[in-house]
This record gives sequence, C-alpha cells and structure tokens, in this order.
Amino acid sequence: MNEPKKVLLAPLDPVHDVGLKLIRKKLMDRGHEAVLLPPDLTPEEIVSRALEEKPDFIMVSRALSYGTSELLAKFVDLCDAAGLRPRTKLVVGGLSMRPEMAQELGFDAGFGPDAPAEAAVDYVEGKEIVSIVGTRPRSKVDLTQGYTYEFSDKEIGDLCIQAAKQLLDWAEERTSPGIRRAQLRLEMEEARSKGRSEDVDNLRAEYAKICSGEVKQWYQTGEPVSHTRPLTRKELKEIELLSEKKDHMQFPVSQDILNDYNVFIQYGTGCPEMDAYHSIVSIAWGARGVVHFDPSWGARTEGLLEQAWSHEHDGTVITLDNLNLIKKALLPGTLWQVRAHRGLNTPETVVLAHLAGADLTKINMVYGSLGAGTDPERLVVDGVESMKLAARYNLPYDVVTNEELCGVPAAKAFAGMLVVATAGVLLGGRPFLQPLFAHSPEAIIAGTMDDNFIDFNVAKMKVLSSIIDAPIWPGAPVGFLTQSQDRCQSSVMTALHAALALDSGAIAVTIASSDEAYAGGPITVPARIDTLKATAAALRFFGKGGISPTAEVDKMACDLRNDILDVLNKLVARGDFVASLYEGILGDREDGAYPGRAGRGTVTLKKV
Amino acid sequence: MSARDRILDGCDLETFIVCDDVEEGKSLGLRLMAELGFDDADVVFCEMGGPGVRIRLRGYVYRPAAEYRWYDQEADSIE
Repeated sequence: MNEPKKVLLAPLDPVHDVGLKLIRKKLMDRGHEAVLLPPDLTPEEIVSRALEEKPDFIMVSRALSYGTSELLAKFVDLCDAAGLRPRTKLVVGGLSMRPEMAQELGFDAGFGPDAPAEAAVDYVEGKEIVSIVGTRPRSKVDLTQGYTYEFSDKEIGDLCIQAAKQLLDWAEERTSPGIRRAQLRLEMEEARSKGRSEDVDNLRAEYAKICSGEVKQWYQTGEPVSHTRPLTRKELKEIELLSEKKDHMQFPVSQDILNDYNVFIQYGTGCPEMDAYHSIVSIAWGARGVVHFDPSWGARTEGLLEQAWSHEHDGTVITLDNLNLIKKALLPGTLWQVRAHRGLNTPETVVLAHLAGADLTKINMVYGSLGAGTDPERLVVDGVESMKLAARYNLPYDVVTNEELCGVPAAKAFAGMLVVATAGVLLGGRPFLQPLFAHSPEAIIAGTMDDNFIDFNVAKMKVLSSIIDAPIWPGAPVGFLTQSQDRCQSSVMTALHAALALDSGAIAVTIASSDEAYAGGPITVPARIDTLKATAAALRFFGKGGISPTAEVDKMACDLRNDILDVLNKLVARGDFVASLYEGILGDREDGAYPGRAGRGTVTLKKV
Repeated sequence: MSARDRILDGCDLETFIVCDDVEEGKSLGLRLMAELGFDDADVVFCEMGGPGVRIRLRGYVYRPAAEYRWYDQEADSIE
C-alpha cells in the first residue's frame, strides 16, 4: 500500500466535473483522501481552499472553451504566488488537454481525453506515467472457422448442389490459356527458387507465347506496358525502411475498438510504395485487413508481368515482386486479400497470392462475367480452377456480388453467388458470401430503400444466414451509391453501413475511404483515416445496443428468398450454368448485365 | 528540407468562401491553392449555402509513381 495522499479535485469549469468524480472514486478505492470542490469556483477561490486543505496534489479539470490556456496559466501563477508549489503538485486534465500543453502552462502533469482515470491515480502514487498507445492484433484469425457450410434451407440447398455439380462437371472437361499459365508460373517460380535458370528461360518463353497485348510485348522485347515503369532502387530501399520502422510505430488508442472487428480496406494506388504506406496507415488506424486492387487492363490482357512496377493510374500491377514489397508493410496479424474475381489471369493470381503469403482471395464467375467484362465460358473454366487452387492452398475467398451495381436484382446475384459458393465447398474450399451493402439500382428503381437503408440490407443478411451456415462478409466496399464527395457525409454513410453489417452478423466488412465518390485523383491517406475513425465511432456508439430494422424486413427477406428460389429453379431447369450466364438467367441486358467478351473463344476441351 | 516534401500524398484545405455562386467559389478556391503554391490542385467538394460555399480543396504533392522526397533528408542512408 502506498502512503495515502490528500488530493484536492477542482473543476475549473462552470458545469463539468464527471472526470474528477471518477478520479475521486478511484483515489478513495486505493485509500487516498480526495476532496472534490463544486464547479464554477474562481481560481482565487480554489487557491483559498487549497491553503486550508493543504493537499499533496491539486487536480483541476477544464472542458473545451475559449480562453482555457489563459485561465489555467492564471491558476498556476496564483498557486505560485500563494506559496503552494513546494509541497503541492499541480495536475490538469480535460478534453482539450495534452501533456505537452500542461507542461507549457506550468503544471506538473496533464492528462488528455485518452488517459484513463487510473493514470491520474498512478501519478499520485508516484508511478511512472506510461504514454497511452494503442495495440494491434499480432496474430491472424481464420474468419471461416466454425462455419459448417450446411444448408438450413434444404429446398434451396438441393438446387444449389445440382447447379454446382453441373458446372463442375462441365468445367472438368475444359481448359484455357489462363490455366496453362498458372501451371507455368508455379513451375517457373519453383525453378527460379532452385536456381535452374535454363528451365526458367524455357518456361518463360512458353509463357510468353500464350500472353497477349503489351504484356506479351514486354516478355518478348522488354518494352514496358503503357503507364508503367520499374520501381527505382531508391523506392525499393524506402519500402525496406518503412518495413523496419513499422515495428516501432505508435497506434492511436482511440481506434482499438476496431481490434474486436474485421474491417478491411482496399488499396491499389498503382505504386507499391504508396500502397505500402496506405496499408500501414490503415492498419495503424484499425484496419484488420487489406485488399489488393489491380488495374482493369490487367483483366483484359492474357498474362501477368514479372518484377516490380509502378503504375500511373488506378490499380497496382500484380506481380510476385510487387506483392512481396507490399507485404513488407503489413503486421503479423494483418489479413491480406489478393483478388482473382475477374479477368484472364484468375488461376495465376491465386498462385501468386499463395506464393506471396496472402490469406484470402476473391472468386466469382458470375460477377466477373456479367459485370466486369470477362467471357462467361472462359471465366467459369478459370474460376473453377481458381477454386481448386484456393482449396489446395488453404485460401478462403469471398464470392462477390457487385453485379448488383450494374442493376442486377439481388435475387439473381444471390442465386449465382450461392451456386458458386456451393461449387467451392464441393471442391473443398471455404468461401465467404459477399452481399452488396449499397443503395443498389434495383433498390433505387423499386423504392425499396426510400424510407431507410437498414431494412433491405438486413433482409439480405437474414436470407443468406437462413439458407446456409457460411461466413458473410459484405462489401465491397459497403455503402456504394450512398457516399458523396463530402467527406463528412461519405464517412458517416460508410461507418453506418459497416456498423449495420457487423451488427447483422457479418464476420468482416470492407469499407471505402471518404474519397469514394471523388474521381479527380487518387485516394489520399487522410481519406482512409476518415472512414476508419468514423467506423470506430459508429461501433462505439451502437455497441451492444444494436440497430433495429422495421417490421418490413421480414416481408423483404421472405420475398427475396422466394425470388432466389425462382431463379435457381430456372437455372436447374436450363441444366447449363454457362448457358444461363449468356442467356440472362442470372442477370440480363434489361437488368444491366452484359456477358463480357475478354477471352471469348479461348476455352478448349482437355486432351484425353 | 521542405515540410511540404514530407506530405505523404495530398494536402486538403477545407474552408468557407464568401461568394455569389458555386462557380465563383470554385474559382476562388483554386486561386487560393495557386497562391499557396499548389500546382496540382482540384476541388474535391463544393456546396453553396447561404453567403457562400463550403469547399474542400486538394493539392497533390505526390501522385502515385511520382518521385517522393519524404526521405531525401535521410539520403545518405538510402542512396
């Protein structure tokens, strides 16, 4: 037990004294004598009481107000003039206080809004004041753990299994240049790691033959792809420097609440060095995971580059070197997703994700072929191979449904997602369901969200969780078409969507930055902090209180479930998943879905 | 070393400009950024209300793939 001290607690404020009351309780619990003065005394009156009480410490508090500094400085001067200082230490606390400010004003110590009441008591007891810093998780979590992937809704489950088996049987007989390149990449990296340079050269030459466009040109002539340049030696060293510094960085304690959730951000500035900064800043402010966002031209070109490249436009080029550089900025507990959901290089992307040590990937043939420009036949063949690889490498993946943004109704998008996820489970994989949390075109036109943004999103969560026991990770990112160029509005909308998703049972959520609706330039790092701060605040606000939908939600969920069933019945009756994609069963031209053309005519039957 | 070199990407300036309409507000905002020495500036958000605009302006110091100078003062340890 420390020697009991006498502490005079004085709210130098007309009203607020809750902080001092809390400190008084902590002091008394630990055997000290605490005298709490009423609010609204003048500095002179407090000093007068101090001369009577002869305390060891005077703790004053002050809420935000004009003239705070002047008032506190005057108080210190009065204490000095009254001869209190030799035996009495002066301490100040309050929302506007910072330790360095307290020191400048002449106080012995100061506590700001992030300091717990215990810190003030520790100070009274002569213990060292440790600066209050946040922590970030040091180990990874398996977000799919505990999910059985069993269908609770047997009627829908049976249809999903039938459709999934048909699509797997169809894909089993077919192959593509994308699948061949994934095999070559694996062999190439293995040969490279063993120093078999002649093998590397031969494999590389074979790889180059089945590339297209500027990527093929680079392999054959060394001419860089437009708007890209190799990373400089200086940039490579700077990423190393950042990697060394990251272990000694401070994290804001105000964001520690996000440690209890799984909030992902998407990076993809084009430059691996800038991405490394975006990632570590987002992690510092509480992001649990980061998602690699690649350039759109990469999805239309056969083949992926090698080496480290910077790209002047949106999206960071996927190469093993680029991924390995960005990884240097991640913490041991950071979850890392490399997406393989669209384009002509999906199996190879899964291979690279595995080789780089990513934790997650993203696969969905329906969105990729109806909303992202890849030929359905090609993407189904490549997607099935990607799911096989993901299962082999123990990489869970989300099955995204962003085709809703094109205008495809949720029922069709969900039917496609459920069939793809079922195929993934049949292949031994661990998919996430990724419903879109957005003011979708379907909702805008039908007026489903005219009253609120809660009901329809909660209905989506209810439906999916009533159909299958699978992890749900809304995105990507949440809040599409509700954000604007105003960072306050954008941050609030993002945070509310994230809080709603997590309150509705989501295991994770992907959020946008407050620059989501700004198209004039790249996303800035402060814009990422905006929405991470807002999300932390929203989660703190709702806590276990939760968010309640209106009575409409059950009808919406029931209608959505019946519509999904209707789509699945049509799909199974058609008996051909790929044909269903071309023919619009999972989204037609009227909806805004157009079967992509990239890679059309490149699928071949496997040689027996 | 210039403090500006240490800006990671862009510098946002958020304020209220007294003006007659949005166009005047944007024009004044961009003039302000030019006066502050931001060559690569843009209006991120601008909304008219009452006597003027609430405006957020952005001056990019570095776009991705630019030549960053965050560490140039530590050049000896890098180069």
